[in-house]
Amino acid sequence: MSMTGFERAAEGRIRIHVLPTKRFKTFAVSLYAGASLQEETVTPIALTPFVLRRGSAAYPETILFRERLEELYGAGFGFDVYKRDGSQIVQFRMDTINDAFVGKEEQLLGNSLAFLGETLTRPALESGVFKSKFVDAERDNVRKKLDAIINNKARYAGARCVEEMFAGESYRLNALGKREALEHLDASSLHESYRKWLSEAVLDLYVVGDTTLAEVQGLVHKHFDIAGPGHSPYEYARSAKSEGVGNPHIVKETMDVSQGKLNIGFKTSIDYADDRYASALVYNGVLGGYPHSKLFQNVREKASLAYYASSQYEPHKAFGTIQSGIEIGNYERALEIIRVQLDAMKAGEITEIELSQTQAMLGNDLREIRDSAFQMIHHDFGGRLSGRERSVSELLEQVESMTAQQVAEAAQNFRLDTIYFLTGKEGE
Amino acid sequence: MERIVYKHLQETLYYEKLDNGLSVYVLPKEGFQKTYATFSTRYGSVDNRFRVTGQDEHRVPDGIAHFLEHKVFEEPEGDVFLKFSTQGASSNAFTSFDQTTYLFSATEKIEENLETLVNFVQNPYFTDENVEKEKGIIGQEIQMYQDNPDWRVYYGLIEALYSVHPVHIDIAGTIESISEITKETLYACYHTFYHPSNMLLFVVGGVDPEKVIAQVKANQAAKNYGPQAEIERFFDPEPEQVSQERKELNLPVSLPKCLFGFKEAAPKVDGPELVKLDLTTELMLDLLLGSSTPLYQKLYDEALITDGFGGDFRATPEYAFSVIGGDTRDPELLMDRIREESERLSQSGFEAKAFERARKKKIGGYLRMLNSPESIAHEFTRYKFRGGDLFAVLEIYENMTLEEVNARLREHVRWDRRSVSVVKGA
Repeated sequence: MSMTGFERAAEGRIRIHVLPTKRFKTFAVSLYAGASLQEETVTPIALTPFVLRRGSAAYPETILFRERLEELYGAGFGFDVYKRDGSQIVQFRMDTINDAFVGKEEQLLGNSLAFLGETLTRPALESGVFKSKFVDAERDNVRKKLDAIINNKARYAGARCVEEMFAGESYRLNALGKREALEHLDASSLHESYRKWLSEAVLDLYVVGDTTLAEVQGLVHKHFDIAGPGHSPYEYARSAKSEGVGNPHIVKETMDVSQGKLNIGFKTSIDYADDRYASALVYNGVLGGYPHSKLFQNVREKASLAYYASSQYEPHKAFGTIQSGIEIGNYERALEIIRVQLDAMKAGEITEIELSQTQAMLGNDLREIRDSAFQMIHHDFGGRLSGRERSVSELLEQVESMTAQQVAEAAQNFRLDTIYFLTGKEGE
Repeated sequence: MERIVYKHLQETLYYEKLDNGLSVYVLPKEGFQKTYATFSTRYGSVDNRFRVTGQDEHRVPDGIAHFLEHKVFEEPEGDVFLKFSTQGASSNAFTSFDQTTYLFSATEKIEENLETLVNFVQNPYFTDENVEKEKGIIGQEIQMYQDNPDWRVYYGLIEALYSVHPVHIDIAGTIESISEITKETLYACYHTFYHPSNMLLFVVGGVDPEKVIAQVKANQAAKNYGPQAEIERFFDPEPEQVSQERKELNLPVSLPKCLFGFKEAAPKVDGPELVKLDLTTELMLDLLLGSSTPLYQKLYDEALITDGFGGDFRATPEYAFSVIGGDTRDPELLMDRIREESERLSQSGFEAKAFERARKKKIGGYLRMLNSPESIAHEFTRYKFRGGDLFAVLEIYENMTLEEVNARLREHVRWDRRSVSVVKGA
């Protein structure tokens, strides 16, 4: 057994991770397919799961496909496409109730894995390629999703800030692809790209629930039509990280908004695999992860400038962000208050209470992982992704023994990179 | 202490009504690290005219229930968030139309955190100064929602449906309405609605139910709450017709957002009857326009809907309406299509096979929800405040008939009681 409690095996190219437990009323299933994040392939890979969820060989029309999910007691089925470090990951999720609660033997786990295997490996085809009806509709759907980013101003500002930070790298790309590249994809070219993707992607299948590794392995063998040797051509690799130069790039953009969105980006060399990872978690917690944090207390509670003011740390690409929604005219004032907090962090001006509150909150976040099947999967997969496996208890120990000095050292490693402000048309 | 066993769900619920009227429920979850507790009052944004029997009537500014929720977190020694942080708990609160809930989630120091939750909610501390300061923060919250097209299209619909009932008033109020709030109005609302007899405490997680109930009992006994007479809430009569057929607004959006809904007469029922009305109508909407229906597929093929499209139903004894829609290139055509199909189905009725599938899907969704302590606590309280029981839902689904669902289609989907709200780019 691994440090995180998952039992592991492989079935062809699919790495299998199973956590047998009776704690939940469902079987939680996640399949991660990872590929290199690249300008040329980002769009077809993003479009692929949208087409796959329209139908499989066994359920070739979308209505049949969805009716099947209803027959499996409304099994939850969904997917996400996102980027982590240098990879573009497609994650399929299924959440199916345990037969015990419907009073009859329905083999819901077996039927769910059969459904997922079909969906991923035996799609609905016409003349040997994807159905053009599905491809055309989903291309339109993804284009609408890309356009819809402007609807949520906080999310838009966050994405724009990250795009500016990584302007010269593939990480600038939206994981859902590029609008202009969509037009060039048709049923035939997308199907070709899908086959290449499926033959190269690194595949991890997780199951949490009342089952065994042997049962899952047997089901994968039966239902996933993936040929090939024991290794995928693609493998997650950790990229080199640097803390950047600390000479901030300032971007202002105007839109018809009543509230301004201030987003600030930092680069760091501390990533998930780094020995100092826990110090970056605590740094982010003291700065802006919680209501007791410096940003919330000073920008919101003391100065009454904002409803939200927080920070985030992305450990796989290794960067930090700060975000706040403010009155447009308060830009300089908010920035000044934030600068004072950042300087205090670097100077180690962290009170004992700020440190202990952050440790207690992070401890709570970490212990909670065990209460959710999908959170346990997510935590374990973080280790697979970065090549550094850490148990929850190991991280807990590191967080609990953290000193203000170590947090200050982490703060010095986060260098200001980009200041992005989404402001109103009439200006200040 | 009462012990209620739901054998088929493998859950046991513990309950006690304390002397001061507070209802305490505990649901132990074996093997869970986390404990989640909610402390809720049956008081929300719609309760703007009320009195305690025998006392003066109050009419209070829009947004005050939400404002009060913010201010309850303030204690003489400072912000209670900080105390929860010290005890490793994350805390939060939310206000809806008819409920305000305070909560924490923690994996350690459960006894201390529970004590903190109950004590801070029962210890109001409002000053002229701290009330003024909050107006800046809530002002930014209101501004943030002004820029949120999903929120604007949703409120646009309720404003179009209702002219009198306060459900059409934004939960946070407006910058103008909150400017009228004073510590005196806050105290008046607080003393009416935060009496234990109007409140419910729900604790779920890896806890010992007897210990939890004993702790809360001792805490409440020491506070000497006197009895409180009935709270009377006043709502002027709402016309049966919608207030406005159409409401339109311009905001930067990539595609028009369209929500429409049907207004029913106030159901004037509560308890199991109201829950059944709710679940039957939701299932009917799923059969009419859920993602596995022919209508949904047709609308999707015509690019009239996107992934977020759907419908749901909101009902209390005082109001009942549906909310249907999403992003669309053509709101009129979308509604025409749905109208054609609903008129056809009103005649023919739904297919028995489709009904069975939809029922299975709802049962599965319900059981999945029971994996989440947060959802259990929220849903249980919401049901209880309407006189229902969350754990009786399975039975309601099992006894539901196709005829009842068909009847709901004919009763609810009435195109002369429809409003539409549209947000589109300038």
